[in-house]
Amino acid sequence: MTAAIYSIGAVARMLGVPTATLRTWEERYGVVMPDRSPGGHRLYTRDHVEQLRFVLRSIEGGMQPADAHRLLTDRLSNDPDRDISGGGSETRLVIMLAERDPHAAELAEYFLRTEGYETFLALEAREAEAVFEERSPHLAVVDLLISGGAGPDLCRTFRERGALVLAISPLESRDEALEYGADAFLQKPLDPLQLVSTVKDLLGQSAFLRTEVLLP
Amino acid sequence: MSDRVSSGSERLNDMLGGGLPGNGINLIIGLPGSGKTILAQQYAFHNATPERPAIYLSTVSEPLEKILRYGQTLSFFDQRAVGTAVYYEDLGGTVNDEGLPGVLERISGFLKERRPGMIIIDSFKALHPYARRDEDFRRFLHELAGRLSAFPVTSFWVGEYGHDEIPGSAEFAVADSILSLSVERAAGGREYRVFQVLKLRGSGFLTGKHAYRLSDDGVQFFPRLADPVDQAPYVLENIKISSGIRILDEMLGQGYWPGASTLVAGPSGSGKTLMGLHFIFEGARSGEPGVIATLQENAAQLERIVNGFGWSLDEDGIELMYRTPVDLYLDEWVHELLERVEATGARRIVIDSLGDLRVASTDETRFREYVYSLLQRCSRQGVSVMMTQEVGDLFGVTRLSEFGISHISDNVVLLQFLRGESRVKRGITVMKTRASAHDAQIREFEITADGFVVGDHFAADQDLV
Repeated sequence: MTAAIYSIGAVARMLGVPTATLRTWEERYGVVMPDRSPGGHRLYTRDHVEQLRFVLRSIEGGMQPADAHRLLTDRLSNDPDRDISGGGSETRLVIMLAERDPHAAELAEYFLRTEGYETFLALEAREAEAVFEERSPHLAVVDLLISGGAGPDLCRTFRERGALVLAISPLESRDEALEYGADAFLQKPLDPLQLVSTVKDLLGQSAFLRTEVLLP
Repeated sequence: MSDRVSSGSERLNDMLGGGLPGNGINLIIGLPGSGKTILAQQYAFHNATPERPAIYLSTVSEPLEKILRYGQTLSFFDQRAVGTAVYYEDLGGTVNDEGLPGVLERISGFLKERRPGMIIIDSFKALHPYARRDEDFRRFLHELAGRLSAFPVTSFWVGEYGHDEIPGSAEFAVADSILSLSVERAAGGREYRVFQVLKLRGSGFLTGKHAYRLSDDGVQFFPRLADPVDQAPYVLENIKISSGIRILDEMLGQGYWPGASTLVAGPSGSGKTLMGLHFIFEGARSGEPGVIATLQENAAQLERIVNGFGWSLDEDGIELMYRTPVDLYLDEWVHELLERVEATGARRIVIDSLGDLRVASTDETRFREYVYSLLQRCSRQGVSVMMTQEVGDLFGVTRLSEFGISHISDNVVLLQFLRGESRVKRGITVMKTRASAHDAQIREFEITADGFVVGDHFAADQDLV
């Protein structure tokens, strides 16, 4: 049986993305590369469509298109046969980042998403509380200096509501962080490996493993 | 506090209080040819690992191909590390096509993809023209510093800046450290490479100007000898050591104190070098190895001289350190001397001559500080130092030394030509001994195949001039 192929117009309709955007992504990032027919038409496979869905989900989660494609490249190069269709947000481990520094937040979010976690970001304390209410994260990463020093209150609140808390700060605040109820502390700037391994330690195992266990 | 970042050069690390603070933004400045790119690459190859690589980003100044071509001639350049631990990338196309926002995006991409421990941007100054207005460049700096500070990465911004640009360029305010490489000119057209730490946040550092050289091994540093006053007590032996000349020992009150410094002053041909040789060979033959640090005679010339007195440079306990005074760096010389002393376990040093060293120094005050620091360091280690100094007057010496060294020396011995009884005679006088009494009379001496032969003091009727 011959595998299905899709035209660019069909893929655009399936994903709700303009064809021009699909062409731009292909030219700029060179990650999702459909074959061409003898007549020059793009031929998308099911895998291509799933890869584009992955990119779209990442963008909807707050990522820039460049980062979303970089993440896809990383996932495909690590395990080309990996199913990147995802299991739906209800089955993925959710992490909230309450981080005042947008650059640090962007990096932390990227590294956690690379590991398969679903992430939500808040750059100030009130927003963090609202996101927490809405998303009920499994773990909250809290910058103790967010919103001029609201981090300790956030730590206490999130911990009382049952989430795991990883406190972070550019200052050496290990003892304080534990007093505020945090489960762990890391000093900024965050080393990506350290961040991911700490999160894994707190959550028990990697998000991918959890996803496989949770999925039927 | 972050860990220190080592340069691979122990001396540079020492000048920086142990190394550059980790995860900082560091500026390496200097004019073209001063060695900025080499120093940055030294840091890269010394620290990069496949897990935490270094990324070298060339901009629109020097082509990447050229950096690599010259880089591979350096001893620390490990070709196997290129592409696995040290990545060379060209930012020129990005900055030309997409301007400074494109640079920010690429650097963010590198942080995510490669997770580097070090990022070098060379030339950073060449990015300036890509900002239409000053505030645009400041905004770029703010963004870049924000991105780099959010990640555990040490960055180097390399640029052809002069010291006069420091107050007006925003990058100097952003930087955690500023390392300057420059060239200074001295009398006679001599040029000296000078290294300075102009700023270092969160750490003490060795202030002032330090010498450096460029070689196949990269940038080699020679920190200025400026020992702080050390109040810690130390014990010197209380048994005097021989000068190698029996009568002189008597004049000195049974020789020199161990760890003492002695200045031997006299006109050309008066026997200063020979007095130094007596001192060194006496030491070598009595279990005190010595270093002859000469800028006067090379090994062949000196061997012929010492053979004439029944000695040989091949004897145990004799170490010759000859350096030509041409293109001499005082800082480099003194570090080599101290290393030789440590390596050989030397207890005695002869420096022949101070005048040659003074020519290599750009500044008289610094020269005095240098000699003072060297003598203090030797004294604390119980190493005795003899220095020769030529005086200008052939007869009737009116000044001992031009550099105030006699003031800081423990002992001063004067060798003179004297006229009397219608002939030229040689006279030796102990002018000063610290912590001991001495015979202050002028004694006649001769130079024979056995070396110095010191006779009686001159009689009152000899009518000397």
